[in-house]
Amino acid sequence: MKDNRPNPDKLLEMINNDRAVSSRGHLKIFFGASAGVGKTYAMLNEARRLLDEGTDVIIGVVEHHGRKETLDLIEGIPILPLLETNHRGIIVKEFDIDGALKRKPSLILIDEFAHTNAPGSRHPKRWQDVEELIENGIDVYTTLNVQHLESVNDLVAKFTGVWVSETVPDKIFDAADEISLIDIPSDELLKRLAEGKVYIAEGANKRAAENFFKKSNLIALRELALRRTAERVDAQSDELNAALGKNENQLGQKYLVLIGPDPVSETLIRKTKRMANSSKAPWYALNLRTDKSANLDEKAKIRTEKLLRLAEKMGAIIVRINGNNAAKDILEYAEKNGFTRIIVGHKKRSRFLKFLPSLASELVENASGIEINVVNQSNEKFTKQKETKIEHNSLNKIYDYFWSILIILFCTLIGLPFRDIVDANVFTVLFIAGIYVIAARFGIGPSVFSSVVGVGAYNFFFCHPYYTLDFYEQSSRYTFLLMLITSLFVGSMTAKLSRLVKLSRKDEQEAQILYGLTKGLSVARGIQAMAQFTQAHLESATRYKIILAIKTGEKLQFLSTSNIPLNLKEQSTIDWVIKNNQSAGLGTDTSPSAFALYIPLSTEGEIIGVIGFNPNEAQNNISITDIQSFETYASLVASSLARAKRSDEAALTRVDAENEKLRNILLSSLSHDLRTPLTIMNGIASNILKHRKSMPREAVNEIVSLYQQIERLQKFVSDLLRMASLTSGNIKLNQREYSIEEIVGAAIKKIEKQKGKRRILTALSGITPPIYVDGGLIEQVINNLLENAINHTSEDGTIKVNISRKGNNVEVSIIDDGNGINNEIKEVLFEQFKTNAQNKNDRLNSGVGLGLAICKGIIEAHGGIIEASNISDGKGACFSFTLSGVKENGQ
Amino acid sequence: MTTSILVVEDDKQIIKYLKSAITSNNMTFFGAQNAKEAIQKIISNHPDIIILDLGLPDLDGQDLIKEIREWSHTPIVVLSAREAEVEKIKALENGADDYITKPFNTGELFARIKVALRHSKKLNSQADSIFKFEYFTLDFASRRVFIENQEVRLTPIEYKLLSILVKNSGKLITRSQLLKEVWGKNFDDHGNHLRVHTQHLREKLGDNPLSPRLIITIPGIGYRFGEG
Repeated sequence: MKDNRPNPDKLLEMINNDRAVSSRGHLKIFFGASAGVGKTYAMLNEARRLLDEGTDVIIGVVEHHGRKETLDLIEGIPILPLLETNHRGIIVKEFDIDGALKRKPSLILIDEFAHTNAPGSRHPKRWQDVEELIENGIDVYTTLNVQHLESVNDLVAKFTGVWVSETVPDKIFDAADEISLIDIPSDELLKRLAEGKVYIAEGANKRAAENFFKKSNLIALRELALRRTAERVDAQSDELNAALGKNENQLGQKYLVLIGPDPVSETLIRKTKRMANSSKAPWYALNLRTDKSANLDEKAKIRTEKLLRLAEKMGAIIVRINGNNAAKDILEYAEKNGFTRIIVGHKKRSRFLKFLPSLASELVENASGIEINVVNQSNEKFTKQKETKIEHNSLNKIYDYFWSILIILFCTLIGLPFRDIVDANVFTVLFIAGIYVIAARFGIGPSVFSSVVGVGAYNFFFCHPYYTLDFYEQSSRYTFLLMLITSLFVGSMTAKLSRLVKLSRKDEQEAQILYGLTKGLSVARGIQAMAQFTQAHLESATRYKIILAIKTGEKLQFLSTSNIPLNLKEQSTIDWVIKNNQSAGLGTDTSPSAFALYIPLSTEGEIIGVIGFNPNEAQNNISITDIQSFETYASLVASSLARAKRSDEAALTRVDAENEKLRNILLSSLSHDLRTPLTIMNGIASNILKHRKSMPREAVNEIVSLYQQIERLQKFVSDLLRMASLTSGNIKLNQREYSIEEIVGAAIKKIEKQKGKRRILTALSGITPPIYVDGGLIEQVINNLLENAINHTSEDGTIKVNISRKGNNVEVSIIDDGNGINNEIKEVLFEQFKTNAQNKNDRLNSGVGLGLAICKGIIEAHGGIIEASNISDGKGACFSFTLSGVKENGQ
Repeated sequence: MTTSILVVEDDKQIIKYLKSAITSNNMTFFGAQNAKEAIQKIISNHPDIIILDLGLPDLDGQDLIKEIREWSHTPIVVLSAREAEVEKIKALENGADDYITKPFNTGELFARIKVALRHSKKLNSQADSIFKFEYFTLDFASRRVFIENQEVRLTPIEYKLLSILVKNSGKLITRSQLLKEVWGKNFDDHGNHLRVHTQHLREKLGDNPLSPRLIITIPGIGYRFGEG
């Protein structure tokens, strides 16, 4: 039964995906069957409309080919100047991606999506430029012909005979936010063509183009474009269906395409892509590394890599397996991983070889439950690329055979002195031993060759009559046959074995490098040591030069450059890697002309640096396998460096935390251990004073002053603790709305006992706005200021508290009629341990001068200002603070 | 009958000093050095008031308050070296009647003790339906308020606020206790209702916030009615 219930998670995910996309730019492709259908025209028309509506539209690139209709439309739309670069003496104009990113329009028009950029541009392809623009939140309108789509590229070539090398990956097309199909009937297009309204290149290409614009071709292209657009719509509705619980791919299809160096592989890839697309199946591209494939020359290997990359671009997942029995290994892999269909190529072979089993026939023979699709490699006319022969390195091969002969000769020379002593049959073993060595060293070819030569040599030198190929004994015939069979068998087995050993040796080598790297990095202490080790280890193990840079803040710090001059191009490639968290440079699609491959060092999405791999000397190619290994190394280095960085940071914060802890312990023990004895002393003193009537007058006086000193000490301890918690910078303000009057009222009430005969007058001018403060702390401020005023006024003095509104602020001033503030002390009044006491006696009463510092700390923690001044007309000091009021909304 | 006081405190010196202070004031002293002992003494000696230090060896003072409040209304005055307002509020909300911060002086301590005792006696004798404080009168039966014999018209919320403060006259009521009583549980005072209503109440009662005599703000903690 189908489960048709909508899946809320998936729907949500889809909505979220839509949102994620919204921070990216929007890509709209004006898609057509061929040139001349009016894509550019449609694009410009829409852009004009948006421009009129006030959208910030600019033209990045538009090919007008001098046509009036197009030129008319362009007029009025701002144009981003093209970037002129000098390529080998020729001025090339290309789209200026940096200019566009700097200008940051909301919409940019970029014609010819499939265009290939001039060498030396940031990206080899224009669609990559577009990707970057979208990444940066710029909307892009672009145009594309169906023949430039990667997956239909070969199909188009097949029926039109024109091969286009400029292609756009299907996944980019599929990921576009909007496809606008520009469609006109083929007759209409032909009419426009005849009227010269379609741009056709001049010269030799003209003939090709004319050939291209045949009615049959145009109909086919139109169908293709319509179908591809429909497929995209399908894909979108599939996504929705999947979310709604309707799954099209109920059968769980999974395709595996076998890739080798042969040209048929490319057809296979495209075919599989189309099949996978129409049945929405995931597909994998498998490359089997056997003893035979290891024997291929460099060119064939590179071709295989290129084909694998093509498959990857089209959305395949790449798999490589090592094996010997191709059919068996492939089927085993496919069965284990639940593949439903294998697509394999088949080359037409000469009549002579036909009876030998091919991979395809073996697969068909042995497959159970897996569908095998065999694609014939026809003599397709479109294989414009060089005919691909599996060439062996001929010179090396000749040497191999030469060495084989030498070894056989050597065996002969060893045997010669004994040929009359020992039975001739014994020497067969000698030759087989030689063939074993040859097979292990030079592979299957030389081993077969030397098997034959060996039998000949045995006959010639060791069988009577010597130095002829004749023999007396009839049984020798069987000896020769047995020897030939044995040596062929031994040779081929040994050759296979040694190939496998070589292959696994490569894997082991990689494992060794990784092991060494892990070990070294875990021992190295500090980022610098790690960088040095990484460089030394990888350089010795890979024969690549290593460039290593670490991000410190916003800047990039090069830890090792291996003396490679990092010119502007390298620098900008590195910057690009950092910015995009993607590999770039040699062997990639971004700045492939750079010296080195640059891989970002990133863990958990955070970039901590870049590692560069620079091949030595002339070699300017990195294989996918190497890139994969390097990426593994890079991720290992990245996580180690991140660990080092974190531990550095952790060490710092640990010290902070320890300090903080110590401070808190100190504070709480101070508060307990100081306060308790003080409380007791205070209590005892006041207890004694209860009996004052029965005590001598002097004793009473002494105890009273003891009591006062204890009170002073108590106050000092509280002040000290409060100051300590204020300066620790982590006081939590318990803020609420208050009216300043109620806080002032509470503070005055509290000081009632201390003020003695002094008068405290309050004055309020205007209606004050409420303030958002920690009431307890502000009360403390007013308390301290009042206390300060009390200490500096005479017994019958007057203290005024003025509250006034200043704009939306509240100002509180506490004015005394004492001697005012000493000028010397004015500047440092609010600092700790500074008092305005002018004589010793004064100081005795006024404490140690933490009160004002506490006030300042509290007011500043509230974002307020506190000031002190002397009264201009008359005697006394004025302390005032200002706090901002809450904006009252409707209350 | 003399007043009996239980002091729960683990510092022997403080106990010693308080003992001499209490006995010299003609009150009966009981001491307990930990929570367990405190509970035993409360059950067996029925003290009139408990003075409780928050730092106890076997149980956090806050938890002890909660535990005592489950079965006893004996007033509790918290004695604490902890100055943080959060601690004070927590103690009050757990059921303590008042708090006093170390270091304190004896006069202050006895003043607090007297207020707490007065308040608890009032509660026990189920106060008259008419409350008088200087020029202020509140008639609980008719729900009317007079200043100098002039009736003051209050809104229901203002009356409720005032009546809660008056019922607890002299006792500190935290903001959240008031909010809970007047507006109900889980009320979130984002609109600063409490401040606005007390302000209106003060205006109607002619109580100047700069020198309040009826409604007294304890910044950071709450309000109190009348003298402490």
